[in-house]
Amino acid sequence: MQIYGVFIPEKNRLLSYFSQFKQGKGGLIVYLALIGLVLGGFGFGSIFILGHGHTINTSSQVPWGLQISTYVYFALVSGGCIFTNFIGNMFFHEKYKPLASRVIFMGLITAIAGFASLASELGHVERMYMFMISPNPTSPMFWMSVWYTADISILLVEYINIQRNKHSKAMLYTSFIIPVITYCSLGSLFGAVGTMPYYYSSLLPIYFLFSGFLSGNALCAIIAAFQSKTSGNMRLLKPFFRMQKIALASVFVLTFCRIIIGLSSNLTGYEVFRETFFQNVIFGIGGALVVPFIILMYKRTFGGLVLSSLLVLLTQFMARLDLVVEGFRVPVFRVYDMPERISYFPSVFEILVVLASVSLVALVYLISEKTGLFEIAGKGGH
Amino acid sequence: MNLTENRDILEIMQSDLERALKKPRAERRWAMAIDLKKCIGCHACTTGCMSENLTPPEIHYRPVKEEELGTFPNTGMRFLPRPCMQCDAPSCTQVCPVTATYKRDDGLVTIDYEKCIGCRYCLVACPYGARSADVGLYFTGDFRDKTYEVENSGEYGKRSKRTSHWRSPIGNARKCHFCIHRVEKGELTRCTTTCLSSATYFGDINDPKALITKLISKVNVMKYKEEFGTKPMVFYLT
Repeated sequence: MQIYGVFIPEKNRLLSYFSQFKQGKGGLIVYLALIGLVLGGFGFGSIFILGHGHTINTSSQVPWGLQISTYVYFALVSGGCIFTNFIGNMFFHEKYKPLASRVIFMGLITAIAGFASLASELGHVERMYMFMISPNPTSPMFWMSVWYTADISILLVEYINIQRNKHSKAMLYTSFIIPVITYCSLGSLFGAVGTMPYYYSSLLPIYFLFSGFLSGNALCAIIAAFQSKTSGNMRLLKPFFRMQKIALASVFVLTFCRIIIGLSSNLTGYEVFRETFFQNVIFGIGGALVVPFIILMYKRTFGGLVLSSLLVLLTQFMARLDLVVEGFRVPVFRVYDMPERISYFPSVFEILVVLASVSLVALVYLISEKTGLFEIAGKGGH
Repeated sequence: MNLTENRDILEIMQSDLERALKKPRAERRWAMAIDLKKCIGCHACTTGCMSENLTPPEIHYRPVKEEELGTFPNTGMRFLPRPCMQCDAPSCTQVCPVTATYKRDDGLVTIDYEKCIGCRYCLVACPYGARSADVGLYFTGDFRDKTYEVENSGEYGKRSKRTSHWRSPIGNARKCHFCIHRVEKGELTRCTTTCLSSATYFGDINDPKALITKLISKVNVMKYKEEFGTKPMVFYLT
């Protein structure tokens, strides 16, 4: 198995980049990402050394917080990259081809970054082997683990194929179907909890799929935008304008349906939809979906695409946090000094975990890009 | 009809318990009944439970909810003690990805602390909020030398000290287990014995002669959040 040039950059290019890096010519974002990773590593270390009780703000009332929402976010970004890869290959073949390996690579590292965040939230991450020796097939979380493993494996194979110019239609379809099942499983992990009205919905797996497509495509659009600037090939941008608009419109419809269903129900727990109505309409729909769509409509340039995509990435991150945390807003059994509405704000350590995940993705991608890891596939085609 | 025949209810339940323990475990079905008319909201059950199970801060296996009813001058207080419902169709066992929480053959919903990965999915799935996350807090801050901070009552028949966040039960989900460590030694649950107004009944509902079986066959019995289909084994007498 060829390692250099497929998984990691060519040895001489890597060494030459490190010598530039030492001289301070590694690129500003790489240095920032490295600092972010060091700080994030401190956050991770603190959580594992000091324990959850002293570092994170989740509790029995809010059992899932920022780390879980970060996991969901990155997992969906990963799924979105696969969507983008599939649609790009199917409908924009020549225009999309130079980006294929970058998109799949991004899908892989975001899946890994998401898992890193998840690992810091588990009470006993060292017991993950229990998924293999003591599985529970009735649990959506068990199936999530199965499909997540399959997803990363299939992405790895697809990535190797693209890097070695051995791309096949069968693999393209497989690497689309498996992630669709994976991210539907993630949606069902929340949507199947019948006892939590805020989550419980058959709409949620579909909502997750399209939200993933939106965020993943936004990330790929940024890569495409900078790639087009470097190569001078502005045709690369065209597919992303179209895909981004389709994704924004789909998520708009699903978000609208979710809010309408929430507003019209009287079940305990659904009042969250009423209480967060203006927040959802102004930020969740206006800021997160309508504004990026308008930017794409009226500013069909490099700047327009990057601005719209950055806005989508940021607002989708907040949307994932809201989705996870707002489910616990109304306490299930209110007793003693528990407030009527539970609030949650992440601790510094939890924020550092997010910083670590973001920095990991940025650092690995930028080093791979700067050392020409994706050039082989770009030259050859598949 | 006088179900207790003027005998002390603790004595009746004690003899019911002894009779149940003579049967094979799979033939027993532990259940609890709480008489809401008798409950005075003294929280003795909560306190008794805490001292029995040495629960850490923010973890209550049996809290008592207090509700003010009506408007002045027609007001009243209602108290709702909430142990784990030991459901017959529990949602927590269904969602646990590693079968760390499971239903025993006597119906008791159990947590295997050594298997639990601390994902907290069971906390999300429980409609009663009966589960808590042990995140490793101590009443005395970081002074972990106090017996009540680190010792364990032997929940589920196992003793594990809370000395580090790497060791269970820290990092795990925790909940009421009907004091099974006491019950299997022939002692009633701690909340039953500490209840000042004798509002808590415990026993084997597979035994037609048991006091609890007679009580839950009456018309004034309700189950909490029955609509979720979890078939709770805690009955409220109203």
